[in-house]
Amino acid sequence: MLALLKLLQALVKALHSEGTPGQVAAGIALGAVLGLTPLINVHNALIFALILVLNVSFGGAMLGWLFFTPFGFMLDPLFDAIGSKLLLESPSLTPLWTAWYNTPGAPYTNFNNTVVLGSFVSWLLLALPIFILARIGVTRYRATIGERVRQSKFYKALTASKAYNMYRLFRPE
Amino acid sequence: MRIRLVRWSGLLPLLGFFVLLGVGWLLFGDFIVEQTSEEASTELLGTQVDVASLRVRETQSAVDIGGLEIADPFNPMRNLIEARGIRLALEPEPLLEKKLVIRRLSLEDLRFGTTRRKAARPVKGGGFAPQTLRALNEWREQFDVPLLSLAPIDTIKAIVLDPAKLSTVAAAGALRTRADSTKQALETQWADIDVTRVVDSATAIAKRLEGVTTTQLGLDGTRKAVTDVQRAIALVDGTEKKIQGLAEGVQRGVRGLAEGVASVNEARQRDYAFVRGLMKLPSLEGPAIGGAFFGQVSIDRFQRAVYWAELAQKYLPPGLRPQAQAGPKRLRMDGTTVRFPREKHWPPFLLQAGDLSFGLASGAAKGAYALELRNVTTTPALLGRPTTFTASRSAPGTKLPSIDVRGSLDHTRTTPRDQVRAALARVPLPAFDLPGLPFRVEPGQGSMRFDFTLVGRDVDARWNIRSTEVRWPVDSARARTLTDMESLVGRVLQGLGTLEVEARLMGPLAHPRLSVRSNLDDAVAARLRGLVGEVVAAGERMARAKVDSVVDAQVQPVLAQVGTITAEAERRVPVAQQQLDQVKALLENRLKALTAGLGGQIKLPGLP
Repeated sequence: MLALLKLLQALVKALHSEGTPGQVAAGIALGAVLGLTPLINVHNALIFALILVLNVSFGGAMLGWLFFTPFGFMLDPLFDAIGSKLLLESPSLTPLWTAWYNTPGAPYTNFNNTVVLGSFVSWLLLALPIFILARIGVTRYRATIGERVRQSKFYKALTASKAYNMYRLFRPE
Repeated sequence: MRIRLVRWSGLLPLLGFFVLLGVGWLLFGDFIVEQTSEEASTELLGTQVDVASLRVRETQSAVDIGGLEIADPFNPMRNLIEARGIRLALEPEPLLEKKLVIRRLSLEDLRFGTTRRKAARPVKGGGFAPQTLRALNEWREQFDVPLLSLAPIDTIKAIVLDPAKLSTVAAAGALRTRADSTKQALETQWADIDVTRVVDSATAIAKRLEGVTTTQLGLDGTRKAVTDVQRAIALVDGTEKKIQGLAEGVQRGVRGLAEGVASVNEARQRDYAFVRGLMKLPSLEGPAIGGAFFGQVSIDRFQRAVYWAELAQKYLPPGLRPQAQAGPKRLRMDGTTVRFPREKHWPPFLLQAGDLSFGLASGAAKGAYALELRNVTTTPALLGRPTTFTASRSAPGTKLPSIDVRGSLDHTRTTPRDQVRAALARVPLPAFDLPGLPFRVEPGQGSMRFDFTLVGRDVDARWNIRSTEVRWPVDSARARTLTDMESLVGRVLQGLGTLEVEARLMGPLAHPRLSVRSNLDDAVAARLRGLVGEVVAAGERMARAKVDSVVDAQVQPVLAQVGTITAEAERRVPVAQQQLDQVKALLENRLKALTAGLGGQIKLPGLP
């Protein structure tokens, strides 16, 4: 319950005052990969580290993760098809995959799995559009209904919670 | 305001995250590896694999397994292998490439064929091994090994046959369809060629020019007449070629119909056997008796060997092409995981050497044994050497059992070649029931030889057992009042102290031929023939008459139809060829008459 509350606080705060729209959008774009690709993979640990270390909105990243997870499940057949095309049906790429598969450390990314590779490549292609759309969305939100939400009792109660202080550790500087 | 790229305060939680991962590995790492390896090997082998405990020794790059049980996929209450302790010494470098290279495998207290405390769970799912197991259960159904029925002869009674259950009826139906289509195809081709029209047209030209001279026709008329005759000759030539093509088609059609007739006759033989089965008539032929007694137990042996050979061919594929397999089980879609082997690199799995010594402390097979494994790998082409294994126990000059098992899985070339040779002497042979009879075979101590070769998809396997101390107890679980014939067979069996069985399976793996012979065959057949030969012969005549009475009404019209089509097709072709030859000769005469006396002064169209 506490974790949920924290998450909710992070999301709400991310949309309001924590960071510029660009930082929130970058967080959403990075968080999208956690939702779009199968979670337990080395590349996601790396992305998580980047979310922590780069000056992007942590709440935005959690929002991106939460928002894109259902899409990840839904689009798995498409990712599988893309991955199959790249891994199995593109002989010109076979030397690249062979080199990758035989490079120390690299096989732990599981990029030799059709769903993992397909979803990661899809995220690479979608990252910039996600960033741009999220940036426009956050800017418009703040300019329109953001102020009303900020004045609401729900928002005040949420931000007054002690758990919120934990989140402040990750807020963009 | 300038925004900094890096949030240094995030390093602390990042460090915490990695510490958490490390603590998680220390607490749950062994458990996760144990569960994963249990699950993966169960899926891989198609049978339940239990790992008692597992400990990853990171500093020694080794894995200790506290106990391992691999259930027999064909007998859930039996373990194929049970080991108390296993140590896998791993090469650390390939682990970085997610490859498992076992430098040395050592086992303690290895045992085979132990009884399980709990029945193994059947492996479900669409993995290769469960699919193979299911496919092999269907595969064994193809072997028609009828039981030796020794029911009282007076149970032979009138039976009512359902025509739908007789394969002759279906075969006759198929032949009728084939005959109809052959007839229709021939009629269509015949109509297209239209020999009558060609002959009539050519004859009309020949008649028109009969007795006509070049003087009467003039130069233009002669040229036109010559052109007409040449065209008519060309048309006749073309039609003759079509007739030759049709003749070849007729021959093919006739051959096809003859094959259809042969399959109807084969189906009739199967139906005779089927009705014999319904009438519970015993077969008095030696090979049939051998098959009835030892067919099932032989198929059991071959089925197991084929199962492991199929897995080996799947998991140890030849060549260096990318190898696709189902991805790991997870909440998300599994997808397909592809391996990309590369020359001069480690294969994804390699067991370089396994030298296992184990001993059996008690029982008839007690003693010290040695098992040796070499080059077990998922990518044999990378290694360039076949997987080999040997298990031996030599005890010359003693009464102790001797075991010599040798095998190789050579998948380094395009066509895989798997071979196993097992020779066991003075070993306790397993007892088994005689199918359909209340007798049990207890071979006691004897010798067993098993040779199995699978080259590509062709199998050649032989299973042979020999015992000089066989016993034939009545199976108390199936005990009942014996019929006369059963008593007779029982007496024959009791008189035999030696058992020799040889079963052979050979041919394409999908449809191999099984033959079984034993020293019982002729002895039992001769005694049965003496007792019930005449009654059985009468029963067989009755079975044949029964089948004939049902199928003749269906088969005879079809056979007659086939005969008519064949005769008609064979009659038409020579008649047409004769007509065309005659009219062609007539046209050539006219052509000669028209061109005679021209002396080559004028060039005629198309003449050489």
